[in-house]
Amino acid sequence: MKNKIKIQRATYNLTQEDLAKKIGVSRQTINTMESGKYVPSTVLALKLAKELKITVEELFQLEKHD
Amino acid sequence: MKQLPLFPHSWQKVGYIILPFFLAIGIAYLFFDYNIPWLQYKHNPQGFIVFTENNFTDEFAAVGMIISLLLIAFSKEKTEDEMIQFIRLESLHWAVYANYLVLVLCILFVYGGLFFHVMIWNMFTVLIIFIARFKYLMYKNNKSNQ
Repeated sequence: MKNKIKIQRATYNLTQEDLAKKIGVSRQTINTMESGKYVPSTVLALKLAKELKITVEELFQLEKHD
Repeated sequence: MKQLPLFPHSWQKVGYIILPFFLAIGIAYLFFDYNIPWLQYKHNPQGFIVFTENNFTDEFAAVGMIISLLLIAFSKEKTEDEMIQFIRLESLHWAVYANYLVLVLCILFVYGGLFFHVMIWNMFTVLIIFIARFKYLMYKNNKSNQ
């Protein structure tokens, strides 16, 4: 699964730390999600999408092998 | 997101402080037959509940060890989010496998009086392996993110 967290974050000029604080997780979690190593729960995905003003489907996309 | 029931973060420190104390008593009891005098139960046949005479040093050390290990293992991290809880559960899963693998090997290859020692240490190894694995994964996670 790939995601656009990093791109959207850049659009709104947010650091990983800023975004982490806004949705109540650690900075490491944002980093691990951006690199695709951790897949967030639905709740966290919705929070991210809301904060980054984008839909969940746009923020996260399935890849062929998923 | 449903959170795992965990102790407050500051309790972890308490665990680290009291663990060496109970560990030292446990080792002194196990290898040097040390008994704490004030934990000696004196047999009283007139009493309603009759225990056999016993010294409670080993009980004191074992319960203390379990409490301190539980505090270290199951206190919240500074920011306890869902990824950390995932790492926590993964480490617990790994620790149970590793513990029973070691136990099976000990059952097969350790005999007699020495096996008694295996059983004693095995009371604590699940928690010890879990703590080691969890802290290692957290360290790796922090390092790769810098």
